[in-house]
Amino acid sequence: MPLLEVNDLHTHFFTREGVVRAVDGISFSLEKGKTLGIVGESGCGKSVTALSIMGLIPKPPAKIVSGSVIYDGQDLTKLPERKLEDVRGREIAMIFQDPMTSLNPTLTLGIQITETIRRHYDVPKAQARKKAIELLDEVRIPRASERLDDYPHRFSGGMRQRVMIAIALSCDPKLLIADEPTTALDVTVQASVLDLLDDLKAEHDMGMILITHDMGVVAESADDIIVMYAGQVVEQASTLDLFDRPEHPYTEALLGALPQIEGEGIREGRLTAIPGRPPDLIDPPKACRFAPRCPYVGSDSCAEHMPELRELRKGHWVRSAHPSTERAGVRQPDRAPA
Amino acid sequence: MSVTGAREEALASGPGAAPASGAPIRQSNLWKDAWGRYVRNKAAAIAGAVFVVVLLYCLIAPFASPHDPDAVNFALASQTPSLEHPFGTDKFGRDLFTRTALGGRVSMLIGFGATLAILLVGVIYGAISGFIGGRVDNGLMRFLDALYGLPYLPFAIITLAIIGRTNTWTMMIALSIASWFTTARIVRGQVLTLKENDYVRAAKAVGARWYRILGRHLLPNTLGVLIIAIFLELPGVILGEAFLSFIGLGISPPDASWGAMAQEGRTVFRSHPTAIIVPSVAIATLVLCANFVADGLRDALDPRTRET
Repeated sequence: MPLLEVNDLHTHFFTREGVVRAVDGISFSLEKGKTLGIVGESGCGKSVTALSIMGLIPKPPAKIVSGSVIYDGQDLTKLPERKLEDVRGREIAMIFQDPMTSLNPTLTLGIQITETIRRHYDVPKAQARKKAIELLDEVRIPRASERLDDYPHRFSGGMRQRVMIAIALSCDPKLLIADEPTTALDVTVQASVLDLLDDLKAEHDMGMILITHDMGVVAESADDIIVMYAGQVVEQASTLDLFDRPEHPYTEALLGALPQIEGEGIREGRLTAIPGRPPDLIDPPKACRFAPRCPYVGSDSCAEHMPELRELRKGHWVRSAHPSTERAGVRQPDRAPA
Repeated sequence: MSVTGAREEALASGPGAAPASGAPIRQSNLWKDAWGRYVRNKAAAIAGAVFVVVLLYCLIAPFASPHDPDAVNFALASQTPSLEHPFGTDKFGRDLFTRTALGGRVSMLIGFGATLAILLVGVIYGAISGFIGGRVDNGLMRFLDALYGLPYLPFAIITLAIIGRTNTWTMMIALSIASWFTTARIVRGQVLTLKENDYVRAAKAVGARWYRILGRHLLPNTLGVLIIAIFLELPGVILGEAFLSFIGLGISPPDASWGAMAQEGRTVFRSHPTAIIVPSVAIATLVLCANFVADGLRDALDPRTRET
């Protein structure tokens, strides 16, 4: 049984301008001990997916319209708020993008960590404090026992993200959702935080959902990757397969926009950008949502039918009328090589 | 990893962090910083000191004075200030130095009591409105807009008339019943902004319940604003009490309050002005000081609003 199963999740925002289909039919499942990467550009619905799983979407205006999130045999979308509060932190924990603002500046780390522990476990303060020191040690904060009574402003961004990780891990959750955990950090610090997340995932035998817009981040840590575009899954495959043989034109374009430093058959020349912008998610057309930006769109059905997500080969799903294996040698991109 | 970890640590422990030797370090904290800024503001510092002196005078003078504040002695009536009676005596020969202190106690008790009631109601109303938000917030705020139309003093007078008795407690109720609206708005605004903070979302993500979020993350952060609100409300309430007592609707003799004493002094104003000047100056001093203190506190607790 998978640890987490998301089935045809639709989360919409009901605004004055209309219904924004932020998440429009997402399905995936995650096994224990595995890492799932969710990539996509800003506004494609990655974060809303994560918040929907946690039940943290702002309602109103947002609402989970249909679909289910099955965790441990129960549908989290149907759970009453009080029950859901017991799941958060204890079963599923989440870390956010900006560590600079995710800690309350007026409370010491000790208070913020021990309160989380004591929220879910009935332990005396002294024991929670001991556990907090262990946690800070575990996320490699030097001199943990001394730093416990410090306020957040005395920590750098990278250290604060480690503290956030410590808080997330404080109740031994079985699933960790990391929403752009390294985006706000320095490049040098990014790598160390990712390493830490990887190590901790293995030690605690957790499942992890890693949300990012950085292909480089998921390449290293994810077992499987979902590429999202305009609220939908456009490609889903194992990390190796996805990087080796990307099928969806969007995935190809994302990889083409990534600088390569070394390797065989290295791409040369200018990095390519994807022309155009993602579609407005208020009443999107019933067509392929990537069609307006797709270099392979022709006089075919792209502008009329929404392509279904289909399994191209074992474990490799794609939502496109023109995946790369099917067009090889048939059609060339009309983008001129630089 | 260990290399970047160490680098990060070095960066984090810039100035102000504990040196490895464990030498004592100066922790900067909000209240210390605020205190520093407050005492640098001369007007606020002096006003604060005067405020404390007046407070201590009211508390201590009745014990220290050899005169019975209620002892009527017409032989000593309407004396001008002397060593024996620093503020003189009133038309019944009672020592004004002692009576002013006693009156101050009543005025301040009503002032602080009503202010506390204002805070209590305002904080609860504002916190509920801001925290729940949405339609509830909209409804509560429109109701407040309607209440804003109520004139403060006439409403206090009507309240006293309805209760039918006038003493310290009913005065507190009357003065606070139509003056908690602004505090409620301030708290609501604060809670509304604070609840959008990332750390509130982060707290929710680890399962914190609503009362924990409200009690730990939202209300403590409104404390600065509330302290300022206390000193902004206080002068209004004290003036209100003085006004009600002066027109005879508040505290009545033989009990003293500054307003009641001014009323007594009014009758002998031409022959013996001291009797009205002393309580009036006391009221003015307290109100002025409270305003300066409020200004100073606002600058000290929220340095961003300060214009330099």
